[in-house]
Amino acid sequence: MTGGLILVVDDEPQILRALQTNLRGAGYEVVSAASGEEALAQAATRAPDAVILDLVLPDVSGTDVCRQLREWSEVPVIVLSAVGDESAKITALDAGADDYVTKPFSIDELLARLRAALRRTGQPAEPLVVVRDLRIDLEKRAVTVRGEPVQLTPHEYAMLALFARNVGKLLTHGVILKEVWGGGYGSESHYLHVYVSQLRRKIEADPSRPRYLLTEPGAGYRLVEPS
Amino acid sequence: MTPQRTRLRGADILVGTLASAGAVALVTAVIGVADQWIPVLSLGALYVFAVLLVAVVWGLAFALPVAVASMLAFNWFFLPPAHTFHLRDGENWLVLMLYLVVAVVTSELAARARRKAREAAQREREAALLAEVAVSLLGGSAVTDELDGIAGRAATVLGVAHASIVLGAAQPETSDALSYPLVAGGRPLGAISVPAPGPADERIVRRFLPALASLLAVALDREELQREALEAETLRHSDAVKTTVLRAVSHDLRSPLTAITAAAGGLQSAELDLDADDRAELVATILSECGRLERMVGDLLDLSRLEAGAATPVREIWTVDELVGAALDELQDEGTVVELPEDLPPVEVDAGQARRILVNLIENAKRHAATAAGVRVSAVSHGGDVLSLIVRDDGPGIAAGDAELVFEPFWRGARGGGRTGLGLAIARGFAEANGGSLRAEPAEGGATMVLTLPVAAPRPVEAPA
Repeated sequence: MTGGLILVVDDEPQILRALQTNLRGAGYEVVSAASGEEALAQAATRAPDAVILDLVLPDVSGTDVCRQLREWSEVPVIVLSAVGDESAKITALDAGADDYVTKPFSIDELLARLRAALRRTGQPAEPLVVVRDLRIDLEKRAVTVRGEPVQLTPHEYAMLALFARNVGKLLTHGVILKEVWGGGYGSESHYLHVYVSQLRRKIEADPSRPRYLLTEPGAGYRLVEPS
Repeated sequence: MTPQRTRLRGADILVGTLASAGAVALVTAVIGVADQWIPVLSLGALYVFAVLLVAVVWGLAFALPVAVASMLAFNWFFLPPAHTFHLRDGENWLVLMLYLVVAVVTSELAARARRKAREAAQREREAALLAEVAVSLLGGSAVTDELDGIAGRAATVLGVAHASIVLGAAQPETSDALSYPLVAGGRPLGAISVPAPGPADERIVRRFLPALASLLAVALDREELQREALEAETLRHSDAVKTTVLRAVSHDLRSPLTAITAAAGGLQSAELDLDADDRAELVATILSECGRLERMVGDLLDLSRLEAGAATPVREIWTVDELVGAALDELQDEGTVVELPEDLPPVEVDAGQARRILVNLIENAKRHAATAAGVRVSAVSHGGDVLSLIVRDDGPGIAAGDAELVFEPFWRGARGGGRTGLGLAIARGFAEANGGSLRAEPAEGGATMVLTLPVAAPRPVEAPA
């Protein structure tokens, strides 16, 4: 019994080899592709459970692969980005990638992201989301921390509910603004980080050391199960 | 210009004519009165005053008619037979000729004095402009920025409509313009030109423009040399930095590589009898040394982007506790004490670069701290454009003389190893790129780093409901 079929797309043979070895060791089946075109062909014929995609490919950019993939597939995509590629990373996330890891990454980090991405697929939305001491009742619109009810403004609640429906998933600024404020947001975009900080003050024990709502600088936010 | 000048001359002629007639009439009247007591022949000398006055003020053109008119008036009114132009005495002709000669000589002398005064004033204006230009050009202001102003003032001094100073090989637009090249060391740098003036002014132009042209050429040449010297100096400095970087990097890269090679070789070797603990330790060595290599490469990348001016920050509004939190998260830090006031205003910075600054500062402080909880991060806002973040440790501190040196790349004063010695240089680079600053403050007991970050400008927004 394998953990699933993973498509790994990278044009550097050493990285491909290391990833294949480690993923097989972790119980996954692996197919590989060294170009964007090959990646799309493999994704269509082999129907992988997840895709690990390098942003820099010889023929097209990883972002383009991501965009084309999203036209017909909901398969989770984790992009590999290099330091200095911040804008490419954001573009890829906005184009539909689910998550990213920055090269060089530890294999444990990649496997954790992969597991989280695989877990999210096909999971029906639960009306009650429990993340350690944080309980978010999406039906009753009620939030408690360590059993204590928390008063949230409508926007704070909308943000937290969005995070709760996507536990573990990286949400970009663009996604949060669109989901919480709809199309009509204007100056809110400037203050998004401030709103998140206010929400964090209400749910975190120490806002300077957040354990639930983590910042991915330059990318977005992620609600996680505290380690 | 020309019609205006004609009108002025017309007025001059009218005034001159009236004054001449008046002068002759006045002297005639005076003689008519004095006639009763004094012999009329000696009174004729009084006409010299009329001629003199007109000659000095209006020149020969008016003085000659005044002389002739005086002669005729004297003859008509006073010389017998009166009220005729006949002369009984032949020697009276001599008196009349005398008036004429006096008129010519005085007016010529007066005209010469007038020309001299005008010439002196003109030269003075020219010299004043040249001196002014020289002072402003050699005084260090940028010549190229002053060219329009100088051209305007030169036109005023020369009394022409406009003057133009063109840099480069461009030719003056009109062919009838007077143009002088700006040449320094045999190289043409440009040209200064004025529209063709009248013959009288042309002499002034031909005298003044070459002087101004050579002054400008010298100043332009000097400016160019200065620019070249600055560029050479910058290049030399950047070469020196690169040499230092290469030397430090090749040294610093070798030690983790050596550790990795040794550890991996040990794992691969068939001869070694390693138990599980030994193997785990070798693997841990490889991983930690890889982490060190990664940080070094990251530092070098940051530094190269800063040096190339490519570290363009994407500035967004963030709260300070969030930025500090992201840094502590990256460092997996537990010991650092964070004391942030509740009412800190948000700042406007690039989050990734701000995290880099804080990570480097906290990491540096931890390396020098004496105790595990010896690092403190605090903040103050005085309601100004910036707020201050203070990172303090309880280590040996920074010697007063080293307060600036610690921000030099590869400064290795009291560093405990591990990093490339780029951390503080990068932190300061990013702080400045984000409109802030970073400095070390000599303080009692431990080093104190003060980071200022720009407070977010208020934007119109409804408060979160």
